[in-house]
Amino acid sequence: MDSTIDFKNNDDLAFFGKVNASISHELKNILAIISEAAGLLNDLTDMASKGGNFEVEMIQTCSKDIVEEIQRGFATIKKMNTFSHSADDPLKRVNLVEVLDLMIHLARFLSFASKVRFDPPEEAAPIVLTCPWRLQNLIYQALVYGFESVGPDGEIQVSLHSQKDGSARITFSGLGKNSARRFPVDQTRQIAESINAEIGMTGDSHVLDILVPQYIESMR
Amino acid sequence: MKVLLVDDERKFATMLAKRLALRGIDIDYVYTGEEAIVKAETQRYDVAILDVKMPGIGGIELERKLKELDPCLKTIFLTGHGSKTDFEAGSAEATCYLAKPIQIDELLTILREVAG
Repeated sequence: MDSTIDFKNNDDLAFFGKVNASISHELKNILAIISEAAGLLNDLTDMASKGGNFEVEMIQTCSKDIVEEIQRGFATIKKMNTFSHSADDPLKRVNLVEVLDLMIHLARFLSFASKVRFDPPEEAAPIVLTCPWRLQNLIYQALVYGFESVGPDGEIQVSLHSQKDGSARITFSGLGKNSARRFPVDQTRQIAESINAEIGMTGDSHVLDILVPQYIESMR
Repeated sequence: MKVLLVDDERKFATMLAKRLALRGIDIDYVYTGEEAIVKAETQRYDVAILDVKMPGIGGIELERKLKELDPCLKTIFLTGHGSKTDFEAGSAEATCYLAKPIQIDELLTILREVAG
């Protein structure tokens, strides 16, 4: 069994790059808001010190925005940290609700992201032994395709169901027809095969399923 | 000088518009490309400040649509992505660009230069 993820694999590296770029964009947006709020606070206090109106309400709004954006920044960094450490172990037991939450959160940083409705299962969250990195890559690709298919004003639904044999089915439904590209492509199927998972459209191509086995012995 | 600011980060757009207004700039701001087109159909602007990455109509496409309405319109792009080189490679049409977080004095200087 490999002891690390092989980042010489182009798919693994491309996935890391895409997610990293979207996180850095999110952090830049947060810093831009904090910068503007601090600048506006400075403008307002400067005006007041020169005898202008003391705009208390605006100053309170700026302070509140700074606090909120700092919290948003911390939350983003926490997700980034979880994502980065998911490459530590080639095989690991993972809670699929947590994995889906993380990938949905990260995918929302994309500028073309649509809404995602994820209703976690009422029963206990499925736990699987898999390669977290590859599974995340599959889920992220499915979300990106979903966004493209419905457009930024659309919504996709994500659901998760335990199967009798211990495997889990992740379903992306409500997909549209906006995307011009075919999905899943061979590369995506190969990523799925490397963790013994299956990915494919069902029925009328408005639904995409990922079937994740309960455990794998090793990564292919 | 009449300026239109378009950015989907609502807090950013609101505060930047307020800061420019405090510096004497006559500015309108909206949060989407679609709203920007509606504004530009009824109001003439000298300069548009456009965020590059926005849901729906992005900044690059929006510039093209706004220039169809007013070929004289000047544009400044705001980007949270990468370096100047990355940005220029992505858009040969860019009049001018600024990376976020921005410096207000730099933006003012560029606004005046662009508006002539």
